[in-house]
Amino acid sequence: MKPVGRIGAAGLAVYFWAFVIFLFAPLVVLVIFSMNSSATPTLPLSGFSTQWFRQAFSNTELTGALVRSVAIALIAAAIATALGIMASLGLLALRGRALSLALTMLLLPLVVPYICLAVGLLILVQEVGTQPTLAAVVLGHCVIVLPFAILVIMPRLRSLDPAMNEAARDLGASEFAALRLITLPLLMPALVSSGIICFVTSFDEFAIASFLAPSGQPTYPVFLYASARTPALLPEVIAVGAIIIAGSILLVAGAEGGRRWAERRLVGGAG
Amino acid sequence: MCPARRTLSARRTLRARRALRASRARRTRDDHRTRSWPRPDQRALVLPPLLFVLVLLVLPVVFIALYSVGLRTNIPGTPTAFSLSGWQDFLFGGGSAFRGRFVYSIEIALIVSVATTLAAYPLAYFLAFVARRRRYALLLVLLAPFFTSYLLRVIAWQIILNNNGVVNSLLWALHLRPHGSAVSWLIYSNFSVALVLFYTWIPFVALPIFVVLENMDHRLPEAAADLGASRAATFWRVTLPLSLPGVIAGFVFVLIPTTGEFITPLLVGGPNNQLFGNSIQAFFGDTPDWNYGSVLAITLIVVVVVLTLAFGRFLQTDLRADARPQS
Repeated sequence: MKPVGRIGAAGLAVYFWAFVIFLFAPLVVLVIFSMNSSATPTLPLSGFSTQWFRQAFSNTELTGALVRSVAIALIAAAIATALGIMASLGLLALRGRALSLALTMLLLPLVVPYICLAVGLLILVQEVGTQPTLAAVVLGHCVIVLPFAILVIMPRLRSLDPAMNEAARDLGASEFAALRLITLPLLMPALVSSGIICFVTSFDEFAIASFLAPSGQPTYPVFLYASARTPALLPEVIAVGAIIIAGSILLVAGAEGGRRWAERRLVGGAG
Repeated sequence: MCPARRTLSARRTLRARRALRASRARRTRDDHRTRSWPRPDQRALVLPPLLFVLVLLVLPVVFIALYSVGLRTNIPGTPTAFSLSGWQDFLFGGGSAFRGRFVYSIEIALIVSVATTLAAYPLAYFLAFVARRRRYALLLVLLAPFFTSYLLRVIAWQIILNNNGVVNSLLWALHLRPHGSAVSWLIYSNFSVALVLFYTWIPFVALPIFVVLENMDHRLPEAAADLGASRAATFWRVTLPLSLPGVIAGFVFVLIPTTGEFITPLLVGGPNNQLFGNSIQAFFGDTPDWNYGSVLAITLIVVVVVLTLAFGRFLQTDLRADARPQS
């Protein structure tokens, strides 16, 4: 007997697809209103228009915030992924109590609420005697995405065959050369996933950025929040939002496709 | 062989063969590991990331604690001394407004966690037992909205629920309500805050439940059925109890972040629907009192840490060396 009968299966399928509609409906609403000519997002629709896209990209405050967020997310993703590689290599060599302790510490950012970390960093900046800067935002983002990097990289690292690394060492490669020529290329799928997850998380982060970004230099989420309360700016925000939604869905689909492709190739080659 | 015509025993043989192969792979991998991966100097690599977390996470939390007992202050020239007055006020005294906010936040977080867990279970069940071959693709469909901007999704709900938003204007267009009269509880209410939080977290709850159902020994429900249990009995007495770790993990996955939530109430909540996170935010923003704000922040951290410790074994990641390999 199958765990689900035919009627049960049909019912579950209906439920599932109803939920998919529920989950995507708000995104579809944003995309529809991004091409609506009226300045207020309300029904009935008033006609097709691309003016909000043009207006959005001529709004230098908005594009400036976007550029700022992309730069911050790129740097944070790079730093966190590098730290994630080091942490994973180190954790792999640890055993027992030391492993538990180090792992707990490194995954701690998953537990501390962002709002608390944000005010804590604000206090730290004040105690060090400087003003909030974008660099502080980058460091804050590195901390919150570091656990994601470790959670992605470490299982992959553990699944690698150490014999390959040893072979390289036997053939005269230095420790560092073996890491660079053997381990890192084999880790590449995990590094790409880690980079993408860290980038997306940092790009979207609001709490830390809202406390630490200097007032004249908002990141994109901070700008988004400010303009969500300004009706005049809303259509432009929706237009850029629609592009970002389309972009992130493509990124997720692409990353998953790429991961499968790479995994098939590497696992097929190794096993 | 055509999968539809595969007999039960053939399927079992196949499964046994697969299990054997997996255990063999695991054994060779373990041999490698004990042989020579860990070199002593490799351990030192964990220090820079640890230092990073210490300086940028632990140190800030220590500072918050110092502020909460008056040992530091953000107002220049004010003398500092150890004082529990903030704590006294929050826990026992006139700060009851924030105690109320705290209780309200926990209530909302619990309601949202229970609702998402109940609603997510059938989704995970569908993926694990009905959508056999396409389950990973469909899981990704479920998770995809989670990867788009959180703030954008809240703004989308604001547009949908607004007084002249999508739902209200649709009701007007269909002549179900007189034009201009909005449904009062649709936005800036408990409903809107809970709905948006429910929407945000449901894919995240479905994931751990799915993982547990997927990794469950599928022979157990089969055995129950062989021994004469009905489908309902198999579910209630075998499948559901076995999937409880995933259910609890999903529940806590929502409970922890919603307890500290503050963005959703800012955008779709009214003045009475602000959560505890909003109180903390206000004390470090518009009406600065870092000392009192630190009392609230430490409270939130303690609550979340206690929750994590209490449910820790259900949240265990697969990273320990003694954990079973994933594949």
